[in-house]
Amino acid sequence: MELYEYSAHKLSKMLSEKKCSSEEITKSVLDRAAATDEKVGAYLTVCEENALKKAREVDEKRGRETLHPLAGIPIGIKDNISTKGLLTTCASKMLYNYVPPFDAFVMKKVNAADMVVTGKLNMDEFAMGSSTENSYFKKTHNPHNLDCVPGGSSGGSAAAVAAGSAVISLGSDTGGSIRMPASYCGVVGLKPTYGSVSRYGLVAFASSLDQIGPFGRSVTDTAMLYSVICGHDNMDATSADREYPDFTALLNSDVKGLKIGIPEEYYGEGVDNSVKETVMNAVKELEKRGAEIVNILLPSTKYALNAYYIISSAEASSNLARFDGVKYGYRTENFTDLTDMYEKTRSEGFGDEVKRRIMLGTFVLSSGFFDAYYKKAKLVALDIVKEFNSAFGKCDVIATPATPATAFRLGENIGDPTKMYAADICTVTVNIAGLPAISVPCGKVNDMPVGLQFIGRKFSEQILLNSAFAVENIFGESKPINV
Amino acid sequence: MSIDVKHLARLARLRIEDDKLAKFEKDMESIVAMVEQLPEVSGDASGLDPEHPMKLREDKEGTDKLTRNELLANAPKMQAGCVVVPKTVE
Repeated sequence: MELYEYSAHKLSKMLSEKKCSSEEITKSVLDRAAATDEKVGAYLTVCEENALKKAREVDEKRGRETLHPLAGIPIGIKDNISTKGLLTTCASKMLYNYVPPFDAFVMKKVNAADMVVTGKLNMDEFAMGSSTENSYFKKTHNPHNLDCVPGGSSGGSAAAVAAGSAVISLGSDTGGSIRMPASYCGVVGLKPTYGSVSRYGLVAFASSLDQIGPFGRSVTDTAMLYSVICGHDNMDATSADREYPDFTALLNSDVKGLKIGIPEEYYGEGVDNSVKETVMNAVKELEKRGAEIVNILLPSTKYALNAYYIISSAEASSNLARFDGVKYGYRTENFTDLTDMYEKTRSEGFGDEVKRRIMLGTFVLSSGFFDAYYKKAKLVALDIVKEFNSAFGKCDVIATPATPATAFRLGENIGDPTKMYAADICTVTVNIAGLPAISVPCGKVNDMPVGLQFIGRKFSEQILLNSAFAVENIFGESKPINV
Repeated sequence: MSIDVKHLARLARLRIEDDKLAKFEKDMESIVAMVEQLPEVSGDASGLDPEHPMKLREDKEGTDKLTRNELLANAPKMQAGCVVVPKTVE
């Protein structure tokens, strides 16, 4: 077995027992990236030299200092997370040359834990998309079937972990951008409670919905990485001021007495029957192990997708106003005056999907339409929160499919935005309500992975991780896919 | 609903080329037709979360210091330590 094939928690043990070095692990992962990435296309930037340098430093420190359990473990980072001195493009022409002068909060944590950054991972431009086809630079392919998309927008983060070209990775989730690619690529992905991970240094898409989260081939790896990145940060005004437990130490697969809510709205029209069956079979396995199934109702779910696209686009139109060709990034070559420079820079720098979202956001916020769109969407959001609150009076977690179908083919939905948006129907409610949710592999349909999504109360990540751990005990940890 | 893409683009400081206009119009109209299906709801949408209030930092000088050169390193055009832009005031 090659080193890249091991999970982070196994590598952590092997490192502490001196069975291998971080340099050897890092080399193995970089070799794996070199061997697979021409086909998978997960990486936008590989930082081989810096990664090996860091790995050697950690190896030297070992034995002399007490190291973090993830010290020396390679990690890949989504390209919308600011990495000091390392290109951060958001997969956009607009930021093709942008090198952040500072580290995101999560990168400070990752560096303090002495993890080894192998590179930056592909995504939909500015995290807008569900397939990673909206990247300006390249398409990412699903390691399970190279003709299929990895999901999006954190497609590179999920595909790298699935292919073994990263051990663990960080992504971001605004409407499903961690859980959907995790589901499509057969890995674990956690979207944490809004406010539990600082957004400082995450290039903003929709600030009230964005959240950074971890990917891993196992629940334990995901829990370990989440423990690293959560915590209060003064630099994010929405950061929650609270203490967090050691999620990994408290992992427990005992589901006896766990009340699992099943909302019929997530098992209705628009969701593939084979996906529903696969998810329900996993839930029934948990029932056999002592969990209790409770039927719940979340009737506003049918409006969630619409509310989500209104709110997220409104915030995006405001957030992306900063890209004007003045302070950083792309600037058009020829222009007559300031306005001409702005318009040409933005028209040449942004891709079509980003332009559509900016224009949708501009539309719903413009006078005469604000009440009918934006205000209504915010009121629907409040209803969604209320319904979740009442559901959590009856159950501890809610189990749903993470995606309405398995991964679609490249090119299949790219010409029809509303069809692409429909891929998010199972995930957007969670962001609207600020809740945590996890996607864990629970079987396959036609050889493609299916993800089971657990949704929990705010700050109930431990219950989600434990529920996912129970599912993993049935289906096993994921292994790198041959490509 | 028909969407005036040219007008929206102008508001957002974007420019849509003429040969792409028809496709953008079609896409925007189908997106708006999708998202406008919302129930009749009323109430206060201030969206405050009393359980998890925001904590504002103290109004004092930050400790995360960046030099002028670090901040200007990404500017597309720079001269004498300043960002260069076209004339803004006639």
